[in-house]
Amino acid sequence: MSDKTPRRRAASQWAVAWRRFRRNKSALIGTSIVAFFLIVAILSQWIAPYPPRSYEALYEGSAGTPPSWQHPFGVESSGIDVFSEVIHGTRNDLYVGLTAAILTMIIGIVVGALGGYFKGIISDIVLGLTQIFFVIPALLLILLFARIFLALVFKGFGLTLIVLILSFFGWSGTAFIVRGETLRVREMDFVQAARSLGAGSSRLLFRHIVPNILSPVIVITTLNIAGFILTEVVVSFLGFGDANTTTWGLLLNEGFSYIRTDWWVALFPGLAVVFSVLGFNLMGDGLSDALNPRLRE
Amino acid sequence: MIPVFLGVAMLTFFVGNAAGNPIDLIRIFLKNPNPAVLDALRHYYHLDRPVWERFLYWLWDLMQGNLGVSLSGRQVADQIGLWTITTLELQVISLVLAVVIGIPVGVYSAEHQYSKGDYAITTVAIFGYSMPTFWLGIMLIIVFSFELGWLPASGASGISYLWGGSLFTDWLLHLILPVAVLTYVTLATIVRLVRANMLETLRQDYILAARASGLSERTVTYRYALRNAITPVVTVVGLSFGAALGGAPATETVFSWPGLGYAFARAAGVLDIPLVQGITIVITIMVLVANLITDLAYAALDPRVRID
Repeated sequence: MSDKTPRRRAASQWAVAWRRFRRNKSALIGTSIVAFFLIVAILSQWIAPYPPRSYEALYEGSAGTPPSWQHPFGVESSGIDVFSEVIHGTRNDLYVGLTAAILTMIIGIVVGALGGYFKGIISDIVLGLTQIFFVIPALLLILLFARIFLALVFKGFGLTLIVLILSFFGWSGTAFIVRGETLRVREMDFVQAARSLGAGSSRLLFRHIVPNILSPVIVITTLNIAGFILTEVVVSFLGFGDANTTTWGLLLNEGFSYIRTDWWVALFPGLAVVFSVLGFNLMGDGLSDALNPRLRE
Repeated sequence: MIPVFLGVAMLTFFVGNAAGNPIDLIRIFLKNPNPAVLDALRHYYHLDRPVWERFLYWLWDLMQGNLGVSLSGRQVADQIGLWTITTLELQVISLVLAVVIGIPVGVYSAEHQYSKGDYAITTVAIFGYSMPTFWLGIMLIIVFSFELGWLPASGASGISYLWGGSLFTDWLLHLILPVAVLTYVTLATIVRLVRANMLETLRQDYILAARASGLSERTVTYRYALRNAITPVVTVVGLSFGAALGGAPATETVFSWPGLGYAFARAAGVLDIPLVQGITIVITIMVLVANLITDLAYAALDPRVRID
């Protein structure tokens, strides 16, 4: 970006982390799982045998049948092919997880950096807000907001609305970490040096401080993806999501209503949730180990 | 604590007014509400006032334990009491079990780092960490209730007949599945944390000194290391209690457990605004009390922390 020296140092720092990450077996397993789900999500339209929310299997006479060669994950009583739906759900759930995690990362960095950098009233207000959002029973409010706003706001916006609600209630953890790191870094010599050279607040914050606190932010954002997928699954499972969009939670909702007879409708979407979340968690743990300066020898 | 409470109160109140006022919101979902109930609510929410005044009136009522009437026409405060007890019964039993099992398992895992047992424990823990609690519940219900028929699938007590023949066995058998699910998920978090903290503590010099002075491994582990590794665990136990309470809508719905979470899921589904607001406030208070207890416990365990 600006001069060459800090850029080269940054590159070597990431290179060290990458070397440590590559040697970590569980991190690699996690990354492979994540890569697998990403590929499924991107190719979903082409690899899913049936379009989303399609009842075609009903007309083939295979409604409510257990897993078979033709329908590897079975068919719902309504004639929906579970295998196709899990694939379409992958796309939508990863969309929710990734976008909500990126949004909360942005909110978290801005709020946390402001709270950690400035002193006095701004810091107090920001800290207070962060604490409130950290403690509140978020899921209850997410459910309530989803119910009310999905009813009031037009359809088709469904999934994006869920993303916005999840981000609104989900940024506090990131903000806490960013605030703590900003407090630590702002007293460091290189920041003092930049300040004495006449750098203004915004330059100090976004050129010098934020780039140096990215490692923990990357870790928490990766773990957040897992967390948001889990929350979205709960929201849709309870029937508070967008009923017209296939998500794993919606499938689990349908699976739960056929629980006595059609176990496959609840089993396979759940496994997709477990493994995708596991992938992001393993990746996050691996990143945390690789980027942790205390473990660096 | 008070700002958090006010924050939650404001969020729950103003989202209830998202359509202008709570009555209009209720009307969106319920085509023929009971006119007597609507009148009572109109009075309770002071609909003739501007919205900020309505908020203050509502807050004032809240302080006095007046939560209004739900759409069924019953007082919200009367309904919530029993649900709170049923929810706490489940949550407290699971939390105690998770702590009692989680700490020794985490210690074992740290003591035998990279052994087969350690790998097995960490694998089981990370799955628990990555699993939607309610989904595990569904799977257990399918296996143990519908396939094997050993345990009841729903509710907190038998309606048509008593499981196991007595009131006590009936109560116990209804508890097993929900408690198992909740314990496992909280356990996973505790085991991971105890293990990580113990690994760090066991590397300290004073542990080496304790071993060198000839103390038994058991004393070193439990008296010296665990005592120091456990303080962060206290925080997480408090946080997991809050998380489990917040997650109650899904877990309780799966087991039709007659607690706050199940009631919330049903009430929010039909936008029974007074009931939803009441439950949210009660759960918030419970979470805040849990946090307070956590802070006190933390101060008791760590002499460097003082409560001002």
